[in-house]
Amino acid sequence: MAPYEAVRAHPDGESTLARLALTASEYGFEGLVVRNADRASGASVERVREEYGIDAVDAVEISAGEPSAASGRVGNHRSDHTVVIVRGGTPALNRFACEEPRVDVLARPMAGEGDVDHVLARAAARNGVRFEFDLGPTLRSSGGRRVRALAGLRKLRELVADADAPFVVSAGAESHLELRAPQELRAVGGAIGFSGAVIERGLAEWGRLAARNRERRSERFIEPGVRRGRYEEDDR
Amino acid sequence: MKHLPKHLRPRWRYLGVEIEAWSDAEIGRRGFQRALWAAARSLLGDPGSADADLTVVRFRFGDGEGEAIVRARRDEVEAVRAALACVAAVGGRPIGLRVRGTSGTIRACERTHLGHAPAGETGARGGPAGNERLDVRAEDGFVGATPLDGDDPTAAGDAPAGGEAGSGG
Repeated sequence: MAPYEAVRAHPDGESTLARLALTASEYGFEGLVVRNADRASGASVERVREEYGIDAVDAVEISAGEPSAASGRVGNHRSDHTVVIVRGGTPALNRFACEEPRVDVLARPMAGEGDVDHVLARAAARNGVRFEFDLGPTLRSSGGRRVRALAGLRKLRELVADADAPFVVSAGAESHLELRAPQELRAVGGAIGFSGAVIERGLAEWGRLAARNRERRSERFIEPGVRRGRYEEDDR
Repeated sequence: MKHLPKHLRPRWRYLGVEIEAWSDAEIGRRGFQRALWAAARSLLGDPGSADADLTVVRFRFGDGEGEAIVRARRDEVEAVRAALACVAAVGGRPIGLRVRGTSGTIRACERTHLGHAPAGETGARGGPAGNERLDVRAEDGFVGATPLDGDDPTAAGDAPAGGEAGSGG
């Protein structure tokens, strides 16, 4: 399974997409989901894909205060971006994202006031919305903040396992210095109660998601299970 | 104290670690060791840190990049890898790091995983031309970029244009 990572590039992060991609490719990632692709400065997603041999994926992360605002922006961005992420962090936003099939990923569901229960986990499983296990606070914070983040990860892990909900894993890097290689993320996961297989699946899921959405956005796709084929040639 | 008989000596593993920071950062062995111990204690706790028995045995850093060899007990390599991953900063300066590989001896670790390879095959960071790094000075710190970003990596964003380019690769 090919590991992918999801990052925030300059100007929202501290490194350009190109620098993030260069480091990520050296670290063994095969792809990089760019959470702020339409704002990113420097070299474009396409250019980076060609030069550094890493699959840069055009994505958007919607950060809104209210579900109504988030809903409007999901509608606006869905057709323009390969991956649509909604940043959670309040119960209302988490509920909105889990119940909206057009959302691919619910990022940081346990951050801040955010919480998830079994009802949301089942809704997410039904709608194919992936929960993000954000390892950022585990890697970069300490003390009480980190303890709360770890407790959140544990709760989310149990709910995801129970509902068999889809999920992704990310270190939430905003600079090339914040990236960590897949093996290291696996080891950190092991230290905080994740099995290695879960971390691998979570990293690979970004790539699967990108491939599926590209297929859906291609012209051949009509609806799940139905696509424009080459019947005329075969049809004698 | 007498040398322990061979079967009672700890079995060590040596982790070759590649380190990166902004190009004006100065990071020393002691600072790195301290940050690593702190990370191990907070992630693995005192018993876990004692089990891992970490020491930084080699350290080199300059111009925003460097490498280290970290010694740990053989059974604890995964725990040590996790602790290393949690070293986010040394002396307040953010660092990036990656474990290049592990070996059973310091010499093998240097040869296989760090910049001591005979033909410079595995060692040199930066590698082929075009893979250079640029740390561009911006108003509040640096912006990490590469030549691919063109003359002004910050142009498309709101950040003010950076001037001086730090050394990178």
